[in-house]
Amino acid sequence: MNINIDDVLAEMLSTMKGAVGENWSEVKTVAQQFLQRRKERLELLAQLRISGDLSQEKFESRLLDEKLIAEAELNAVGVISKALAQKAASAGLDILKKAVGTAILGAISK
Amino acid sequence: MKQPPRHLKKRIILSAFILMFLSLNACKVTLLPGYDANISEQIVNTAKAVDKFYLSMQDNTSAENGGRAFSKFSEQYVNIEVELNALLSKNKIRPLNQNSTRICEITLELWTKYKEEHKKDNTLSDGLVKLNQKTFSDLFFAMQVAEKGKQIIGNPPQ
Repeated sequence: MNINIDDVLAEMLSTMKGAVGENWSEVKTVAQQFLQRRKERLELLAQLRISGDLSQEKFESRLLDEKLIAEAELNAVGVISKALAQKAASAGLDILKKAVGTAILGAISK
Repeated sequence: MKQPPRHLKKRIILSAFILMFLSLNACKVTLLPGYDANISEQIVNTAKAVDKFYLSMQDNTSAENGGRAFSKFSEQYVNIEVELNALLSKNKIRPLNQNSTRICEITLELWTKYKEEHKKDNTLSDGLVKLNQKTFSDLFFAMQVAEKGKQIIGNPPQ
């Protein structure tokens, strides 16, 4: 089984970008750390296959595990994205509350 | 048609604003549970235990002459599995916490898988010790990112 680490990383980056949409700039740093870690794991995996530490069967099984690890990382990015959305929605509500509060004060003072 | 008196109209508008204000105050957007410092600490402690487990295996034992036979590590495997189960339960009972729960499930799934591999082979090469250590370090990092990410709700992103 051949594996092109750069292709895998590029695909993962594009999946992460798609998952977070407009929040990309906020999650970029974390996503880059995930990619760096992934790169190191894949390099080690390849090295272990070459050295014979991993049989072909185990190597393929570990590549399947990589999908699970990527899922975990996407879930972590998902939390940041949701937290940013919740923060933005709360800020919008606060502005509306403030405006209604001001309108009440205005109506009372008239 | 007779118009309501001016003061009555003012009261109606004022009441409507007050009602709107009260409804808005009760309005809250919640997509995630809040940050939990205890869970965050437990993630760090479990990550440290796993790191220590693999590092001491690498430094103090060798795959030669049955030095890494499964029986020598079975108790430590159980201890860490107990910690991972506890983390999963704590995450599962929190509402709106699917993301963190899934990360815990994946970590536990791989922990059990690698434990069974060790049991079956009754040894673990240096390379696999290193790979397993790295894999779990990365999974705990994801777990910590998810928990810390919940702090954004109350604070601006760092």
